[in-house]
Amino acid sequence: MHWLRLRRLWRPAPLKRRYDTVIIGGGVHGLATAYYLARHHGIRDVAVLESQYIGFGGSGRNTAIVRANQRTPENVRLYAEGLKLWRVLTDELDFNLMFFNCGNLNLGHSEAALNGFRMAASTHNFLGVRSELLDPQQCAEVIPGLDISDRPAFPIHGGLYHPPGGIVRHDAVVWGLAKGAAAHGVHIHQGCEVRGIDTEGHRVTGVRTSLGHIGCNRLGIMAGGYSTAVAAMLGIELPIHPLTIQAMVTQPLKPFLHHVFSSGAYHVYGSQTLKGEIATGAHMDPQVNYTTDATAYYLKHQAEALVELMPALRRVRFMRIWAGLADMTPDMAPILEGDLGFGGLYLDAGWGYFGFKSGPVAGKYMAEYMASGERPEILRTFQLKRFLENRYSGETAAVMKYGHWD
Amino acid sequence: MTFRLTCPVCGKRDIYEFTFGGQERGPRPEQEGLSAEEHFRWVQFRMIPGGMGAGEDAGPRAGGPGQLQHEWWYHGQGCGVWFRTTRDPATNREVKDGSGEG
Repeated sequence: MHWLRLRRLWRPAPLKRRYDTVIIGGGVHGLATAYYLARHHGIRDVAVLESQYIGFGGSGRNTAIVRANQRTPENVRLYAEGLKLWRVLTDELDFNLMFFNCGNLNLGHSEAALNGFRMAASTHNFLGVRSELLDPQQCAEVIPGLDISDRPAFPIHGGLYHPPGGIVRHDAVVWGLAKGAAAHGVHIHQGCEVRGIDTEGHRVTGVRTSLGHIGCNRLGIMAGGYSTAVAAMLGIELPIHPLTIQAMVTQPLKPFLHHVFSSGAYHVYGSQTLKGEIATGAHMDPQVNYTTDATAYYLKHQAEALVELMPALRRVRFMRIWAGLADMTPDMAPILEGDLGFGGLYLDAGWGYFGFKSGPVAGKYMAEYMASGERPEILRTFQLKRFLENRYSGETAAVMKYGHWD
Repeated sequence: MTFRLTCPVCGKRDIYEFTFGGQERGPRPEQEGLSAEEHFRWVQFRMIPGGMGAGEDAGPRAGGPGQLQHEWWYHGQGCGVWFRTTRDPATNREVKDGSGEG
């Protein structure tokens, strides 16, 4: 097995006492930002600090679904570019991210839902993103296991089919980006917990960590569900609620489900992984917390919802359940901000349950933002101050919405 | 995980009988002379205590482990009462510290 050692993706680097840029959070967003800083902007003196191990947080806990069928043009544009990056990155990183371009089918269970689909599809098509309305019969042709009869409590009225989406192996994205970033000179420090942030005047000057003080000129907070806690170190309040979101997988089955399906009414989505498990999720506990607790209540709910939509799953067993944190904003759109009252400080947070699908594209533009100090045009919608000006993103009208935190 | 919450009327009940009512934020600010920005800040911006990584070096307002949140809950699938309780967001457990009315 000696070849395993020879094929290490990246190696730990010695911890320096000072970096030009420090990024807090070794997930998809932090690693992607570091990767693009080094690759596109020549900023290689970068450290990514991860309190646990890379991919410990949301990056390794999501259900790996990618899509660009959001509600507002600003969001669709960003996610659509993100979708194109999976193929590019697979090449660039020379690492198989296992993008399975199977398409997503959202199910509608009322006429009102179908109206929402029509509006969403119009937005997508206007922006050149494929999405189309299906009637129940067509839904069953796409996913033969669906019960389109009037037996379910909420019968299927139609669907919004979105071919460009699919699933991506989330661990591979973390490892691939770590490999790519490290190859460009980025230092990745695992087990390095940030405990405080130092400032001088109105500039950030460094971070205090479990491994000592580390100086920096630029600091990116990209800690997913923990971003509120990190921002709190500077006394920065955010309109973000960290909530626990749960997911689970069934025992592996022969391939029978060839698309991602989702239903807002049943509070469920699922897909069949390349290993054959049905990976499914959606439940979010409403109280803010930083735990990753899973609950029996939700196992039962998930079983009921899945069987209602796909009766053939009746005797299938769940194998594992887990949870991660979703950093929810009031308008379901993220906060990408470099104007936080401290020079050199940048924030990439508030992605809610869209953090995985947006990782590489957010990293690409955050790197541009951090390198130039100029906010890229595509990020203009995602300023923090929109919440102080009552200019909310319209993303709460998205066809898929799983939360009940508001 | 089984997580129960103490309703002042019904006692310990399953958390899914309740609706989370949000952080206790003190009285609503006086509207007189309140700017729109201050108003929106009060409505949406929060400091959530209990986050990882906020150790003893953290600023005074930061949320470290062991810091508690006073908050509101509604016993919608029970007696229908609104009440205050105290919970540690780092552990998701209710804490009796005497400041909650639950």
